[in-house]
Amino acid sequence: MARWALLSGLGGDLDVYEAVLADLRRRRVDTLFLLGDLIGPERDCRPLLERLQHPRRGELRAHCIYGWWEEQLLAERGYRGERRAEALRRESGEDAVQALLRAVDPGLMDWLAALRFGFVELDCALLHGSSADVGDSLGSATDPLCLLDRLTRMDVNRLFTARSGEQFSVALCGGGITARVRDLEGERQLRQSVPSRQVIGVGRGLQYTLYDPGTDHLDFRTAPDPARVRRRGFA
Amino acid sequence: MAHAVLSCLHANLAALEAVLDDIDRLGVDTITCLGDLVGYGPQPNEVVELVRSRGIPTCQGCWDEDIIEGLNACECSYPSQLAERRGQLAHHWTAAQLSPDNKDFLASLPLSLRRDGLVFVHGSPNSQHEYLLPDMEAFAALERVVSAGADMLFCGHTHRPYVREFREGSIELRLRRPDSGPGQESERRMDLPVRRIVNAGSVGEPRHGGTEATYVIHDGDRDTVEIRQVPYDVERTCRAILAAGLPPPFAWRLRHGFEYAERADDASHVCER
Repeated sequence: MARWALLSGLGGDLDVYEAVLADLRRRRVDTLFLLGDLIGPERDCRPLLERLQHPRRGELRAHCIYGWWEEQLLAERGYRGERRAEALRRESGEDAVQALLRAVDPGLMDWLAALRFGFVELDCALLHGSSADVGDSLGSATDPLCLLDRLTRMDVNRLFTARSGEQFSVALCGGGITARVRDLEGERQLRQSVPSRQVIGVGRGLQYTLYDPGTDHLDFRTAPDPARVRRRGFA
Repeated sequence: MAHAVLSCLHANLAALEAVLDDIDRLGVDTITCLGDLVGYGPQPNEVVELVRSRGIPTCQGCWDEDIIEGLNACECSYPSQLAERRGQLAHHWTAAQLSPDNKDFLASLPLSLRRDGLVFVHGSPNSQHEYLLPDMEAFAALERVVSAGADMLFCGHTHRPYVREFREGSIELRLRRPDSGPGQESERRMDLPVRRIVNAGSVGEPRHGGTEATYVIHDGDRDTVEIRQVPYDVERTCRAILAAGLPPPFAWRLRHGFEYAERADDASHVCER
């Protein structure tokens, strides 16, 4: 039976990626999705990006999409028309933009630019933010009406998202609404039920999510911290 | 207090004059315009100048934006590729006709206006190009109202007036986090607020099946919305369209009150955005 692993927010950290891969070896996972934020401003991202492009023998190949950090970098390097990394500049200042530029070798840009916005697999949307925007942060406290809107826009049953960094699942399981329309032809009324759908936050870094599409089973997991493992002599 | 809301004037001076006469006759002195002052019609400068001279608060429509920013519309909004081509012709003709001063005015228009719990937009709070159709999925439509912080959302863009009220709404949900043990999911029910979308229809290019210009009057004290239909001299505008060299289907549309399309659903049309 197919089993998915969904992770995000590696921030260029190869150690974290290897820690998750090690944790996955015991989980019978056959498909690995990396929902963006592969890169970040804090370290040289080349080792991780090269590993994602060239997995080791027997290692899962990650299906990657771009996230908020990639979007900022692509904009700043001119891959988004006239747009620049304005969101990053506004949130963290010019130093952060320069740090991001230093963290990613220009030779890796074509590979990053070819990443997709998301995947739709088996009526599940796999995105970094949402159908509204790559930076759309959906969490357990997000207005359910907003969650339902994001699901409706994609016309999917499950929306896996990563932007908030939170691990959660919100299942919309009941309710309805009455809409009455009056126009030049007259008046009509329709009662609509809430469709049974779900938004899942996959986590960030060492926190990741397993999903079995066959049984709809979710498992929120945290891989062992590689720094602590090394200190104990298991590296 | 009653106020009038109009939209989608589309450079149709005869229609705008008739609607303003109707508003004046009713003694309504507050007017809000939801944009699309230009495009399709033959009198873009005259219409912009009349709106400016009346000091009507106006938000920017998709045509107003496109004339300033260059063609930016998602062409999926056209019913066929030929319709899209005609729209582009109208765009270039209008851009060439508009005075620099009137272009500056269109560029200065805000994307939305707000008065107490009333929010005014052209298409939707998300975009001037998004259609809030009367049969749009109800929860998604309500989300547009709530996310705009509105009790009542006024929009246009569809060229078909309607009032849509959402009530008796609720969403039930189950929340699970990593620390939730088996069977420890929390359950919640959220009651949704009663909200309304009011579409003002179109003054200058109606598509509701009649030739009359449409707009709405909202009376806040009596909590009523009236959809107004105003006859105007359609042939005067049609003659001006043909005299200006604009595509004849634009005149056909005014005479019939329908969208003119060779194909209602062109499967080969690909969104370029």
